[in-house]
Amino acid sequence: MAARVELETTGFDFGLTRRNAALESKGTTAPKATKTGTTIVGLIFKDGVVLGADTRATEGPIVADKNCEKIHYIAPNMYCCGAGTAADTEFTTNMISSQMELHSLSTGRETRVVTAMTMLKQYLFRYQGHISAALVLGGYDVTGPHLYTIYPHGSTDKLPFVTMGSGSLAAMAIFESRWRKDMERQDAIDLVKDAIEAGIFNDLGSGSNVDVCVIEKGHVDYLRNYARPNERALKEQSYTFARGTTAVLKSSVRHLVQVTDEDAMDTTL
Amino acid sequence: MDFAALAPSANSVMPSVHPTSQAKEAAFSPYEDHGGTNLAIAGADFCVIASDTRQSNGYHINTRFAPKTFKLTDKTVLTTAGCQPDCNMVATRVRQHIEWYKYTHNRSISTAAIAQMLSIMLYQKRFFPYYDFNILGGLDEEGRGAVYSYDSIGSMERVPCQCCGSASALIQPFLDNQVRNKNQKGKEEVTAFDPVAKLSLETTLKIVKDAFTSATERDIYTGDSLQIFIVTRDGVEEQRYPLKRD
Amino acid sequence: MLSDIVAQYTQDSTSYHGDLAFSSSNAWQGDVAKQFGQLSFDLPNTGNPAEFLHQYTDVKSDHDALIKLAHGTTTLAFKYADGVVIATDSRATQGSVIASQSVKKIIEINPYLLGTMAGGAADCAFWERELGRRCRLYELRNKERISVAAASKLLGNMVYSYKGMGLSMGTMVSGWDKTGPNLYYVDNDGTRLKGNLFSVGSGSPFAYGVLDRGYDHELQKEDALELGKRSIYHATHRDAFSGGYVRLFHMNEDGWEFISLTDMDDLHWKYTGDAAVTAS
Repeated sequence: MAARVELETTGFDFGLTRRNAALESKGTTAPKATKTGTTIVGLIFKDGVVLGADTRATEGPIVADKNCEKIHYIAPNMYCCGAGTAADTEFTTNMISSQMELHSLSTGRETRVVTAMTMLKQYLFRYQGHISAALVLGGYDVTGPHLYTIYPHGSTDKLPFVTMGSGSLAAMAIFESRWRKDMERQDAIDLVKDAIEAGIFNDLGSGSNVDVCVIEKGHVDYLRNYARPNERALKEQSYTFARGTTAVLKSSVRHLVQVTDEDAMDTTL
Repeated sequence: MDFAALAPSANSVMPSVHPTSQAKEAAFSPYEDHGGTNLAIAGADFCVIASDTRQSNGYHINTRFAPKTFKLTDKTVLTTAGCQPDCNMVATRVRQHIEWYKYTHNRSISTAAIAQMLSIMLYQKRFFPYYDFNILGGLDEEGRGAVYSYDSIGSMERVPCQCCGSASALIQPFLDNQVRNKNQKGKEEVTAFDPVAKLSLETTLKIVKDAFTSATERDIYTGDSLQIFIVTRDGVEEQRYPLKRD
Repeated sequence: MLSDIVAQYTQDSTSYHGDLAFSSSNAWQGDVAKQFGQLSFDLPNTGNPAEFLHQYTDVKSDHDALIKLAHGTTTLAFKYADGVVIATDSRATQGSVIASQSVKKIIEINPYLLGTMAGGAADCAFWERELGRRCRLYELRNKERISVAAASKLLGNMVYSYKGMGLSMGTMVSGWDKTGPNLYYVDNDGTRLKGNLFSVGSGSPFAYGVLDRGYDHELQKEDALELGKRSIYHATHRDAFSGGYVRLFHMNEDGWEFISLTDMDDLHWKYTGDAAVTAS
């Protein structure tokens, strides 16, 4: 009897890694992943944390999504902005979110931001930077507001104001000049909006709208498209085509069901 | 001090190729892509040439207003995309030769003559090409619109409309459909051999603006502002419109 | 008087070292046309210009290069009893993009000489234009037309002097001279072949298939032209880098004759026999 090999059911499948590397060395180009050349930011204000993100996703020079969501849900008191490969940030935050939910159910307590941060960094470190996720994690737990950045290789920072992504320098310029300790809520939101807009306008990888997420004690405001500074201009004329514009090569009608006069739903017959 | 004594002798046990012992040519990479998109459409008695004005490098915007369309004569306009210094050099040299032509022949140069000259000038750099994609627009000797499209080493063709640059893959199919009526049953097609499109100036301008506002939505290297040059019997008129800046 | 004019536009420029000077720094004076008549090419300031060119352009069209050059594709020509049939497609590609569907791949060198275009579009167009100029000078000097053998050799020698520099050209020079109809194949390696039947470009294997099946020296003119057209059509049907229009020329005793320019779409429905489309 031949030996049977069980299919691995967890983790990544590296089966084709070597084949793909061999193909690439011979000049084949691998399909491009959607990157979020991005501006994501976060800051701590008087009562909590404000996170911000732009909404452009790119594939090389082409804008793949003009209004994508980059602020991901982790737990009721915690959100995470993602930059890098869209799929990586999405799946990483999703998975951590599930684990946080289980953790909270098993402990019967609200999860802490530091727990999520540790799990993220351990997960990313394990894959040595191959999971291309650069994250800004913000939340409010029993110990107060927390803000972390997590780099793709697993290193982390804990700072009062942070930026990440290709627009991080533009955004940081705004934070460095205008961030103050214990800002008012509206001032903090405005500062985040301005920082993201700096990224949107000065970084080609970032664009479209501003998403904002305000996390305070026991309360979260997810302000989707808080600012829309890039509305599309009206088109000069309409481009609808007259009926019959597309040439018809041949037409045939097939009867997939027999249509009868009786009511098919009538069970009295 | 005797430096010769310090030099390794032929039979010393030095590694034969020390990293610093060999002269090595530094990588010569004279090209950079500065993005941007251009197009030109030839009409019955006009020609429209347009380009955006963003100049970028990677994810960085160098400037929001770097014109890369150049008025050459009262009836000819050149538009360029690619590497900015190369574009500028091509424009400068074409202008210089137009001057010389005027002094030699005591008359202004025709669009067709500029077109052929540009082809030869580009081919002159066959072994060190300009990283530059050109479209020449203007009026021909009969007063009709004329558009000449080129590759970077001078392959030339007269066409009814053409787009080049970073968003060309987005705009060219749109022009083929709207200007040349391609794939539209019931509409008379403008073949590539017809010199001009059958459009009014008004409609042409609408198509140009829509092409650029749409390309700005999806191409990260196109945006900031739009320059339109309209060549008619009366000369060259320039118009400017804002585009999205994100 | 005439010889003065000839001398004015004449200089030996087939030598490699003499001509490849850095010319952009030379301030030209006087007649612009004359300046452009003097061949000189700028070179990159590196140890190996050919390698530089290879790095940045798709000379062989098979890698992702920064500067994509327009390439030509299926061309054919064959000699038979009544002359020469010359047929080409009209597509130019830059990388995977169709740059044009309306390229003139049959180049009228003069009223009795034709060249075809395969490989780099600019290379073919430029050197065959230069060939036309030299053929004209030959006529002025010798008071008679140049033979096809001599014209093709001129072209071959010109590109041979740039061998290894990265030129890309596969051309067929055809014409009618004192010896009758003639056909030569010339390419950028310096290859020059006399023959009865050639096809050049990425679609050539398909064209050869149809061509060899139907070729006969005693073909009637009408059938010969149809064979040329059909061969190009079948090549464009299977080769993605060929398409557009079939351009058809015929070489007669008194020079070339333009026969037809046919949309590949119309040909497709004609050959596949689907009348429903053209009718609707």
